[in-house]
Amino acid sequence: MSKLKLANSNKTGLPNTDIFKKKQIDLKRVFSKKAIPYLLLLPAFIYYAIFWLAPVFAGVAEVFTDVNGQFTLTGNFKLMMHSDLFDKAVMNTALFAAVSVMIQYFIALLLAVLLSRKFRGAKLFMFIAMIPMAITPTAVAILWKTGLIKEGWINSLLMFLHIIKEPIVFLNAEGLAAVFLIILIDTWTVTPSVMIILLAGLQGMQRELKEAAYTFGANKWRIFVDITLPILKPSIITSIILRLIAAIQVWAIAVMVLGFNKVPFLVERIAFYVDAVPGVATSEKLAFTFSFTTTVIVFMVTIIYLKFAKRNTKIGGSS
Amino acid sequence: MSYLILKDLEKRYTKGGNLVVNKMNLSIRKGEFIVFLGPSGCGKTTTIRMISGLEEVSGGDVLIEGESILHKKPKDRGVSMIFQSYAIWPHMTVFENIAYPLKLQKLSKSEIKERVMAAAEATDITALLDRYPTQMSGGQRQRVAVARAIVVKPKIFLMDEPLSNLDAKLRVSMRTELKNIHNKEHATSIFVTHDQSEAMSLADRIVIMNKGVVEQVGTPMEVYHDSATKFVASFIGTPPTNFFEVSIEEMNNELFAVSKSFQYRIQQELRKALKPYIHKTVDMGIRPEFIDIFHEDQVKSEYLYDTVIDFVEPQGTHSVLIVNLEGKEAKIVTTKYMDIRPGTKVSLYIRDGKAMFFDRETTLRIK
Repeated sequence: MSKLKLANSNKTGLPNTDIFKKKQIDLKRVFSKKAIPYLLLLPAFIYYAIFWLAPVFAGVAEVFTDVNGQFTLTGNFKLMMHSDLFDKAVMNTALFAAVSVMIQYFIALLLAVLLSRKFRGAKLFMFIAMIPMAITPTAVAILWKTGLIKEGWINSLLMFLHIIKEPIVFLNAEGLAAVFLIILIDTWTVTPSVMIILLAGLQGMQRELKEAAYTFGANKWRIFVDITLPILKPSIITSIILRLIAAIQVWAIAVMVLGFNKVPFLVERIAFYVDAVPGVATSEKLAFTFSFTTTVIVFMVTIIYLKFAKRNTKIGGSS
Repeated sequence: MSYLILKDLEKRYTKGGNLVVNKMNLSIRKGEFIVFLGPSGCGKTTTIRMISGLEEVSGGDVLIEGESILHKKPKDRGVSMIFQSYAIWPHMTVFENIAYPLKLQKLSKSEIKERVMAAAEATDITALLDRYPTQMSGGQRQRVAVARAIVVKPKIFLMDEPLSNLDAKLRVSMRTELKNIHNKEHATSIFVTHDQSEAMSLADRIVIMNKGVVEQVGTPMEVYHDSATKFVASFIGTPPTNFFEVSIEEMNNELFAVSKSFQYRIQQELRKALKPYIHKTVDMGIRPEFIDIFHEDQVKSEYLYDTVIDFVEPQGTHSVLIVNLEGKEAKIVTTKYMDIRPGTKVSLYIRDGKAMFFDRETTLRIK
């Protein structure tokens, strides 16, 4: 009772200066506490602002101004679309992304399932399978180039095995054949990294989940389709996105093995306009526009894919 | 007639390796609730995995209703397994989880629905059928696992430590429920655990295993009060049985268990059995609640030893007294002197007929 009265008297009576002072101090403390994380992030933010945000904005600005510095909404895009090999670059990129991801996925899943069985020598096999992952794209290109030339080791091997009689001139490949050649090399390089993600998913899976299905009468194929694959879905989705993004940005191998203009890709175009024809004002514009377009495509593909993937997994398998 | 028979069942994981399960023989009647109890690595889980078909058998046979099931696939054996981790599939709803075994049997949709509903009702999860396992508690997941096991109408339920992932309180309520479901479904169950209180409260008969060997098969009361081996006497009961090394000596036509510090007169009934052990060393075991700390007039008992109370551990319903006996701790359970002070001088008496003797080589009880 007495406490209640006291509280009332405070409300109706004179303002309590003590409480007022305390509040001010509290506010200060709360403010500084909330500010600490931002203060700590500030250096990183400044770094990004100078070295990342600024160039990005500058780049975007380039895309929407013409050679004379005048604003143009579509001018540079028109320039890009009418540039040499644009159609081919788009087609090749789409083809490469779709086919390479599918092939790499199939092989990676196969390898991951195989390796998760822990057979004798599985560790050695895994070590060998991982080697391509450790080699830089440049080295990969050189490795394959020495194999693909007329006197290269691939021709020697095929001839030794009597599969072919005359050496094949791989590096003269054009059009589709060239794209598939690049797909082949890319698959050799990146399949291990896909496999690792899937293998981690497989090994993280509880053995009892599969055993339960087995005791209830599921055969190996049913267990794989009904249990393993759906549970693996989150890691599959993640790795497909990573692969897809990397696939859209392919260029280094194509240029290193076959050279510019042989198998045009979107990012190959960027490199071409920056490296091969530098200094020309329009080529600079084209490089920026290609960069911008590729980024937008990557964004869109990722968003569409995620939406599609989420609709098909009723629930994110994360537990 | 025996429903399930294990005949000289053996398991080794590698050729010429250790026997994980060693010539196991057991026969189970229809409707029995059997618990396999033992420390980890004793072969209990391996045994039910062999019955379920998850593990290959290295020797011996498993018969259900007189017929060997070893050549059969797991689903045709008429068993269903409940796993320690529940093993319910995270990408399926509760309904889909329970329905999956029936889907594999290619039953019609209406029959699947009917049977899933019945199983869900029996386990009290009808409200959860549309949920995913990630949205449920451990106890609820456990129920789903039980429902999925019930739905295939197995002859035998195999449960591999199904309660060990639950918290202590839930474990106790869940075990009552499991027993209820067992009774309602008129099931025959084998339940694996390393928790003796779980085993005692659930089992019709307990199979106590150690290092791949069955030490004793008996009702909870039998394994406690009539332990067949030293291992059983030491494994069952908290605090565990007190053991002393004694030699059997004959004086004045009576047998005594003699140690450095005491001479204990052995009850008349054991005379014949212990006679071959005269001048030999045996293990003497006494359960903590059969030791009195003072002579009680109404109780028939035999004097053992004078000592001092070192520690008192009050438990509410009883107190555990710790005394020093020949340099080893001996534990005594008392309900009468719960407030006794450490340092009190006491005289230990053993209740008549409660001392157990074990052969040192075979570890078998001498009786």
